[in-house]
Amino acid sequence: MLIQADNVIKKYKNHVALDYFSLTMKEGEVLGLLGPNGAGKSTFIKTLVGLLPMEEGEITVFGMLQDGNNPELKRQIGYVTQEITIYEEMTARENLAFFGGLYGLKNPLLKARVEEVSEIIGLKDQLDKKAGSFSGGMKRRLNIGCSLVHKPKLLIMDEPTVGIDPQSRNYILSFVKRAQQEGMSILYTSHYIEEVEAVASRIVIMDQGHSIAEGTLRELISSLQGDAQILIDVRIAKEEVKEALAALRDVKEVALHNNTYQLIIPGGVVVFDQILPLLSPLGIVAINSKQPNLEDVFLTLTGKQLRDEVN
Amino acid sequence: MALFYFKRSMRDVVGHIILIVLPVILIGFFDYIYRSSELISGIQDPENTFITVLTIGFTLTFQIYGGALTFETMGADFFTPMQGRLLATPMAPRRILLAILSMGTLVSFLQTLAVMGFSMAVLGAKIRAFPVVMLVMVLSIVFHQLLGTVILLLSGKVKTATTAMSFYGAIAPIFIGIYFPLPDTAVFHFLRDYLTPMALANRAVLGAMAGEGQEVLRGMVPLATFSMLLFMWLKPLSRRIHP
Repeated sequence: MLIQADNVIKKYKNHVALDYFSLTMKEGEVLGLLGPNGAGKSTFIKTLVGLLPMEEGEITVFGMLQDGNNPELKRQIGYVTQEITIYEEMTARENLAFFGGLYGLKNPLLKARVEEVSEIIGLKDQLDKKAGSFSGGMKRRLNIGCSLVHKPKLLIMDEPTVGIDPQSRNYILSFVKRAQQEGMSILYTSHYIEEVEAVASRIVIMDQGHSIAEGTLRELISSLQGDAQILIDVRIAKEEVKEALAALRDVKEVALHNNTYQLIIPGGVVVFDQILPLLSPLGIVAINSKQPNLEDVFLTLTGKQLRDEVN
Repeated sequence: MALFYFKRSMRDVVGHIILIVLPVILIGFFDYIYRSSELISGIQDPENTFITVLTIGFTLTFQIYGGALTFETMGADFFTPMQGRLLATPMAPRRILLAILSMGTLVSFLQTLAVMGFSMAVLGAKIRAFPVVMLVMVLSIVFHQLLGTVILLLSGKVKTATTAMSFYGAIAPIFIGIYFPLPDTAVFHFLRDYLTPMALANRAVLGAMAGEGQEVLRGMVPLATFSMLLFMWLKPLSRRIHP
């Protein structure tokens, strides 16, 4: 196993951020770590990188115990922080060279790696411009580049696409796919289900410090097999109707987006006789059903809409 | 790594303007005001002109503010999310701290040279025993860089370090009498010579220019001792930068 985390407990005063959290990751995998705000994703990442001590449990990476003080282990890991952590007053080249230097790279290898990485992140023509003059997407790409200069075997990306334009997001997702093809192992955390769907070969869903499900996308969706999803558009939606729907015995989950109620119900169960009396007064515009996706898995497992958590 | 921090410090153009241009202006301004006064403090040696005493005083004063460049860099690196990025690398945080500290010291020394050089070349300040004076200047720079760093690491807040150093930087020059003459009493003489580390440095510099070895030692020995103590304190304090 590349990463083996066993029963990790991390507390902040009275709040338990990681509660007997366990996770495994194989070499060459892109593991998607999915969870709402406060699920414990970033805490786990920081513990995994060795930035936070844990109260209990054990994490090994590349077979080495992660105690935060192992330079050999740190050399194998690239850490893309959630926040943009680059020096804006310095050029892209100086940023890349600085972080490469901190990992022990020396010229001429360092110079060569800076050139290579600048090509990977699409900033080759901008190398000698100050990072402060970059757009948000370019800064994000440089943020990733600074973690790649030392050619890590494991790349840990903590919400790498927060607040960027779709073009830069696609660039980053393409990079993740390419990097995996070249043999890099990547742990990718995100709020965005479609990103995790697009890049992860295996997914771990976490909530309230626990791992609540894991598997490939297909495995997770098939765990909902038998469940059906119904989308009902109404003229005027009401929160109390959502609560009334949720209270019905045969309704597993309910979410409300704008004027659309999204219901997950067990397969083979007829619920229209129960739900229509509640929804008719709101003015039903359309009724649709669709195949479950990762978002539905997440909703079923956590009872939360991931996107709502973001907003 | 050190070269990176040196370049980073050198790009703070506004900081350099404040730390080089402002003291030069103040030296010229106070010289103009006190030129005809016979009361300015610090002139124990009749060979020292006002401009010389003011040059020494303001150079020392702005070394205090020069410490901000260092602890603000440390603050940006170790008290922001950058901390996670840096601590995830195999580089020992203490080595990064020392690189910032040594480059901050070098930049502050260059600022000192610029202020003194301009004052000597253009304003007519006469610095005798120049090598010894520069030795004291370096010691004063090191002390104030360490002081700002220790306050930052103790408080964990750049704002606290800035407030503390700004307060000290505002008060210390008053007590060596460069803003206005102090009463000519034994108490004020004592405060002028011993109250602050800046006063010790000022005393050592003036002693060096007067050729009084004992005065130099009286200023430098305590300053060197305090610097050593602060430096030794850095090791345990550097553990505070871990999350």
